[in-house]
Amino acid sequence: MIGCWIGFGVVCFLLLLGWLRRNREGLPFGGGERAGNALVVILGIALPVALLSGLFFWSDIVVIRSTAAPTRGSTRLTVRVIGHQWWWEARYKSTKAVTANEIHIPVRVPVDVVGTTDDVIHSFWIPQLNRKIDLIPGRQNHVLLQANEPGIYEGECAEFCGLQHAHMIATVIADPKPVFRRWLANMAKPVRAPSKPSEERGRGVFLEQGCAECHRLRGTPADGDVGPDLTHLATRRKLAAGTVVNDYVHLAGWVADPQHFKPGNRMPQVPMSGDDFNALVDYLQSLK
Amino acid sequence: MTEAVVPARPRAASSNGWWGMVGFVATEATLFGVLIGTYLYLRVRAVHWPPPGTPEPKVVLPLVLAGILAATSIPIFLGSRAATAGLARRAQAFFLIALVVQSAYFGIQVYEMASDLDEFTPQQNSYGSIYYTLLGADHAHVAVGILMSAWLVLRLVSGLTRYRLAAVRAIAFYWYAVSVIAVVVALCLTSAAL
Amino acid sequence: MTTVLTPRAEQRVERLHEIWDERPGVLGWLTTVDHKRIGLLYLFTTMAFFLAGGVEALLMRTQLAQPNEHVVSPGTFNELFTTHGVTMIFFAVIPMQIGAFGNYLVPLMIGARDMAFPRLNALSYWIFLASGLFLYAGVFTGHAPNAGWFDYVPIALRRYNPGPNVDFYALALIFTGISTTIGAINLVVTIFKNRAPGMSLNRMPLFCFAILATSFSLIFALPSLTVDLVFLELQRKAGFHFFDVGHGGDPLLWQHLFWIFAHPEVYIIVLPAFGIATSIIPTFARRKMLAFPLVALAELLVAFIGFGVWAHHMFATGLPLIAIVFFAAASMMVVIPSTIQVFAWTLTVTMGRPLFKAPLMFIGGFIVFFVLGGLSGISFAAIPIDQATTDTYYVVAHFHFIIFGAAVFPLLGGLFFWFPKVTGRLYNEPLAQAAFWLTFAGTAITFFPMHIAGWLGMTRRIYTYPSHTGWGTYNLIESVGGFILAAGLVLVAFNLVWSRLHGPPSGRDPFFGGTLEWTTESPPPHYNFAVIPRVSSPYPNWDVADREEDAQDLDRGTRVFDEGHETPATTVRDGYLDDVLEMPSESGWPIVIALCVTLLFVLVLLSHYVSAVAFAGIAALALAVWHWREPEPEPL
Repeated sequence: MIGCWIGFGVVCFLLLLGWLRRNREGLPFGGGERAGNALVVILGIALPVALLSGLFFWSDIVVIRSTAAPTRGSTRLTVRVIGHQWWWEARYKSTKAVTANEIHIPVRVPVDVVGTTDDVIHSFWIPQLNRKIDLIPGRQNHVLLQANEPGIYEGECAEFCGLQHAHMIATVIADPKPVFRRWLANMAKPVRAPSKPSEERGRGVFLEQGCAECHRLRGTPADGDVGPDLTHLATRRKLAAGTVVNDYVHLAGWVADPQHFKPGNRMPQVPMSGDDFNALVDYLQSLK
Repeated sequence: MTEAVVPARPRAASSNGWWGMVGFVATEATLFGVLIGTYLYLRVRAVHWPPPGTPEPKVVLPLVLAGILAATSIPIFLGSRAATAGLARRAQAFFLIALVVQSAYFGIQVYEMASDLDEFTPQQNSYGSIYYTLLGADHAHVAVGILMSAWLVLRLVSGLTRYRLAAVRAIAFYWYAVSVIAVVVALCLTSAAL
Repeated sequence: MTTVLTPRAEQRVERLHEIWDERPGVLGWLTTVDHKRIGLLYLFTTMAFFLAGGVEALLMRTQLAQPNEHVVSPGTFNELFTTHGVTMIFFAVIPMQIGAFGNYLVPLMIGARDMAFPRLNALSYWIFLASGLFLYAGVFTGHAPNAGWFDYVPIALRRYNPGPNVDFYALALIFTGISTTIGAINLVVTIFKNRAPGMSLNRMPLFCFAILATSFSLIFALPSLTVDLVFLELQRKAGFHFFDVGHGGDPLLWQHLFWIFAHPEVYIIVLPAFGIATSIIPTFARRKMLAFPLVALAELLVAFIGFGVWAHHMFATGLPLIAIVFFAAASMMVVIPSTIQVFAWTLTVTMGRPLFKAPLMFIGGFIVFFVLGGLSGISFAAIPIDQATTDTYYVVAHFHFIIFGAAVFPLLGGLFFWFPKVTGRLYNEPLAQAAFWLTFAGTAITFFPMHIAGWLGMTRRIYTYPSHTGWGTYNLIESVGGFILAAGLVLVAFNLVWSRLHGPPSGRDPFFGGTLEWTTESPPPHYNFAVIPRVSSPYPNWDVADREEDAQDLDRGTRVFDEGHETPATTVRDGYLDDVLEMPSESGWPIVIALCVTLLFVLVLLSHYVSAVAFAGIAALALAVWHWREPEPEPL
């Protein structure tokens, strides 16, 4: 950055000098050739070579060590992220935990995120934590995530992936270790059983009205994998990859008309009776 | 006209037309460089090349054919030299000899390609895709050369002019380049059998 | 410097007019082979495309001014940013530089009467026009390209993009590539062979060196794009497998081939602009350019080294670290020729007696934005920074500073600078200065905040963004800036049109420029120079003795070349007279062939391959007939 300001400053200074000398008489038409050439060589070659070499050494030999992909097996936690149009699938290695769009990690623990895609190229990026990695068909790219403070870190998909590229936000939440362990254990469990009649009815709606064709609820016959795994939907802060908040109003709105919030996404509007609809939303809200 | 400014003919330096052909050949050669680069890129990334289920390429016939095409550079060169010396009939004859051999080469290659298509198609895998694209581009360039040579042989019926001499040199240059490219392509494609 | 012509000189000029003048009216323009007319055709066409691209930009800026707007749908937004990029790069900026400025100025600056291949020149224009109309046919039928100007796979493949949008993209670019390649070859041969006798390579103006470097780049870079696009269409239309993993293909193959073309392409975008700067600066600084040989070499080096850096567009894709570090090092190396030029330009101004008229103001703006854009560019060679900022608005800021600041500003300066030469009238200076400041402010306000938005995480190609990110403020500023910028450009256009109609006469040389175009009339006659000029230095218009000799030559009849449609050809390096060329006159063949080729592409788009091949055959036939009539049919 300092080099930038120096460089910019020098150029501005020279232009300013030129401005100040406008309309002057005096200097011979082609004079000062040797001095001028020398200045061009010093400023145009020597100085940049020095500054650039410094920058190269600093960023591409020193700093790059912390942004380089982690070597296999160097971290205790590995999360596989699979990009889809337009949501993020997350699978925790060596566990049964599967979720979507909201990835939890323990604070101050290095995590190896391995990314690939199921369809087109996406790019996973949490700006506050590290660089981005492209998710490319047939390839696995790695990035190290380590949050030193608990908190919520978001990132937009960083490679154009179609109509709803703008609404493909990944959320990484860094929890204190015990909180993370509880969360992970919960994510690995199958779906909660309904505890009220409306939830029971809602479950029936889910299985029979088409939701099961695209979504999975582990522990039920619903095992579609076109859309996100919804087993623990109610634990997430947001819906549809960060498009809307996950509260009753927005959940109901989303299920009623997904195209309104995220036009072009794959979820259709399914007509159903008002009672069925309310039951369905109740059920979804119970999926903790 | 202005005196003492124009040199006595013939010219020493190469004509604009020749330089234009050099430019054209430069872009076409780069095109083949990219195609061959793609072939090597796909090959390096593949586990088996050709992939299982795809037959290995023939080695002898393609290399022999490429050699024959390259050999037509000899009559082309002799024809070019004859034209520079002002010998229209001789130049025409050499180009005609070359044209006959080149046309025969082209015919055989088209036949070979058709019979290849019976065994594997470009829609099967990336090997087939790059194989037919690279080979097809090569044959297309030979076809264009044949058309140009045919035009030239016809033009030479009414003798040589400076314009036609420039054309002779430019078309000759094109053929040298196509010969080199054909040999390189043949080597590239047959290397899959190694 | 008006001279009274002797009767003999008058006669020679009459003869030249008889030989060289073209038909009047529309038919004259349709069959023209005069490089100046072709240059003007390119200029008007590229201005129209620039306007289209600008409208697309303003629509996007309106959509993005605030979070969660609904000015355009997501699908339309995708078409907008794709078409904006394709239009600006392929149909506005580059053809304006080489097709308009290059075509018009190169023969004049080297003392020639036309390009090496005048009919080919016309062909390249008609093909260019047709390819642009082809692309916009897609836009107006609701099938505009929609996968970004770099059209990555798999999103560009049939499976994710079933409509003809991507086919319009691919075919239009292959189509326009023909025009650009022809144009580049024509420029190279012209610069090599058609210079005035006495103009050795080291006496050639720097603008011509820039055009030469650009043309070499085009010749070697375009094939990579052409092959990539052909692969794409073969996969989309004929089921070939280049890019899909399941059948041995690789999506990164697209990216490699694309960027092998597209990185040199960005140098192609700026190099002619550098050339324009090196024409304006000596004129208005009223001194010769410092370090002339270094600057000429630097222009060629930028083009050359630019071929070795392409993978810096792919640092986030997971390439091996050693490859990434190599490309980062090469990307730093390519900076050096640019810094040489920046300091040569700036110091020439500092050490001269600068006259800050509009052209020099635009060059000043160019230097400021080029340095700023260059600095953000250098930051991309720092790999960790790149991996954080790639695909964000930081990149958008960088390349707009470069393209707008470093390519468009010199173009605007050049429009004012050469306006008197082309029209014979002077532009309005105060209005031009106002337009400069408005455009400068607009550019800064539009693109500077994008650095910050990108750094804060705003990714590219999103049609909207959430309000809690805080990006709304920056976007609003940028959108306002966009309209300020548009106002500045409107003012430029108004000035040019008004002055064309009402400006005072300019004479041959209102600014005392150094190069040969200033020695002839404004506007130049069809034959450019009555006498092919004597050249002893790179600033021939400042060599008073030579120019006086020229005047005498016209009377004596030396170097007039009026026995036919003639211009001299010289040797490549030293510029010794080699031959006298007989140039072709107006021809209808270029437009005929352009039509055949258009039909060929339309038929391929519609998947009628047999008919397409038929039209290729007709085009070939037309080519054969075109070459049947010879310029000098006398036997050897």
